Amino acid sequence: MTLQLTVQMAITGVTLGLIYGLIAIGLTLIFGVMRIIQYAHGEIYMLGAYFLYYWFDKWHLPYWAGFVMSAVVIFFFGAGLQLLLFRPLHGKDMLYSLAVSLALIFIISSAGIIAFGAVIRGISSFVTGQIRIAGAEWTFERMVIAGISLVLIIALWFLLQRTKIGLAMRAVAEDPETSSLQGINNRRIHWVAMGLGSALSAMAGCLMGTLMFIVPSMGFLATIKAFMIVIMGGLGSVPGALVGGFVIGFIDSFLTTLATSELAYIIGFVTIFVILVFKPSGLFGQAWE
Amino acid sequence: MNEKSKTLLRNRPSLVVLLWLAGIALLLAFPFLINQERYILHVAIVVFFNICLATSMWLIWSLGFVSFAHAGFMGIGAYTSALFFLRLGLPLWFGVIAGALVGALIAMVVSLPLMRTRAVYFFMASWAVGEVIKRIFAYYRGFFGGWEGLFRIMPPKLGPLDFANRTAYYYLAMVLMVLIVLVVYRLNKTRTGWIFWSIHEAEVLSSHVGIHALKYKVAAFTIASALAAMTGALYAHYHTYINPKSFDIWTSEFALVHIIVGGLSTAAGPVLGAVFLTIIDELLRPTEFYRIVIFGVILILTVLFLPGGLESIPKRLRLRLWKLPEDKDTQKSIAGAFGKGRK
Repeated sequence: MTLQLTVQMAITGVTLGLIYGLIAIGLTLIFGVMRIIQYAHGEIYMLGAYFLYYWFDKWHLPYWAGFVMSAVVIFFFGAGLQLLLFRPLHGKDMLYSLAVSLALIFIISSAGIIAFGAVIRGISSFVTGQIRIAGAEWTFERMVIAGISLVLIIALWFLLQRTKIGLAMRAVAEDPETSSLQGINNRRIHWVAMGLGSALSAMAGCLMGTLMFIVPSMGFLATIKAFMIVIMGGLGSVPGALVGGFVIGFIDSFLTTLATSELAYIIGFVTIFVILVFKPSGLFGQAWE
Repeated sequence: MNEKSKTLLRNRPSLVVLLWLAGIALLLAFPFLINQERYILHVAIVVFFNICLATSMWLIWSLGFVSFAHAGFMGIGAYTSALFFLRLGLPLWFGVIAGALVGALIAMVVSLPLMRTRAVYFFMASWAVGEVIKRIFAYYRGFFGGWEGLFRIMPPKLGPLDFANRTAYYYLAMVLMVLIVLVVYRLNKTRTGWIFWSIHEAEVLSSHVGIHALKYKVAAFTIASALAAMTGALYAHYHTYINPKSFDIWTSEFALVHIIVGGLSTAAGPVLGAVFLTIIDELLRPTEFYRIVIFGVILILTVLFLPGGLESIPKRLRLRLWKLPEDKDTQKSIAGAFGKGRK
């Protein structure tokens, strides 16, 4: 294994880790605040990517405006799902919200195939060119994408830690009853958190779609990855999602290059199983009943 | 009156037994009622397999868990039986027993660590187990045939009877289905079944009254996985072709959907759900992708407007017709009275 290959794989690992982290943070935010398993998180990611595809490649509108629009549209889509479907199930067994999100997977992914066609497409790059450092190719596109992901993650951290609504979200996640006694409107926090989580996923979809390709069935793969990461890090834990994202990103990057993607999956799942056996609620998680 | 006639009197056939016998008689007569139409027989066999999977998954649910490794164990049964046939030349009769044993053994070994996890983590850890099983089949190409799978897994013969005949296979699948439903139904009625539900409702409390929760959890998981493995063996010899894709997470998810739509609180739920949804699925087959969309819509409508599932319809009708006050207890027991999911 040469230095060049190692650096190349590390670059891919970091980029993938950051994008996976974005998806997983959205998922963990939704779980932490609402205690629902949003199993259709990957389908939201797919919708975000297709929005940008139509905006940029079909209608030839500016890339970054499309990126923001995708996040905004998916924010309201997610909030709508929460208000329409998940709110009536609040306080019931987790199985019911799991069933609804399972149904959303069926509906969105099949409707996606009907509407978009089962063809592999790609969002065109917004920037070209590259430089060589340590023998490896550092494309500008990849660097910008990694930078954007990092900025988004930091912005989310800032929102959660330093703003009033972030404080309210953490309070609801900690203890819904006490937080509503303090005058927090739990229902509003719920749909805001759902929208925010979905928007993060949509933006990750846009970035991944630019980096690789888009296809209506890409959502389920993202769901698998996001859940692997979130379980590893512990549900409801944002730092856990980021650490898990890097672990899965590196496993993906290194094993796919050195062995096969099959082995990457097997190792990934075995890692999760082992972590759960020794730490039954993930690395940074709490035991949710 | 002597002792024996007393027992006979006590065990006189109740309405339930009569219903069971009527149901079995109807199933026995069914192929001749439809004139042995091959396509309808095929649908019936698929329905039987789905009932087997959903019912055995429901057994795990009676302890409060949803196992997404279920299709994986079905795969273990299918691959064991297929390899017995292809490598050793032994027919299904050996394969189904070997499959059940191998499935039970792996389930027992895996469930010991798996049962350390709880609620949502269990669901994901079991998903990991199922996914690893499937991908191991795909990864070891030489032994398991990779993504292409295994071919020419022939149905067995029994004397003059060749199970390549679809009517014959219908009866074979029916025997397994009745066996599994009977096992799960009877188990649920026994003291062990009550212990399962007590773990479902309040695991900590039940261990405080002296129930070894881990032992029962491992036992239920092992039994259910062995039943799924037997289903897998019959599945392999019916389709004569298997690949890892047949045993992925979607198979488990569809079984879960069958349980939720059918109803969660009695063994009738998974049976009703599997029958209803498999038939709907077949009827919608010409609509291609819309079929999955409609499937999703049915699931959402059931969860939102009929939370008890199909099995609760008679009760709802009774309540509606006689204007009785709504019975909250059933709802509560399904939702898990002792703080499953914070309010």
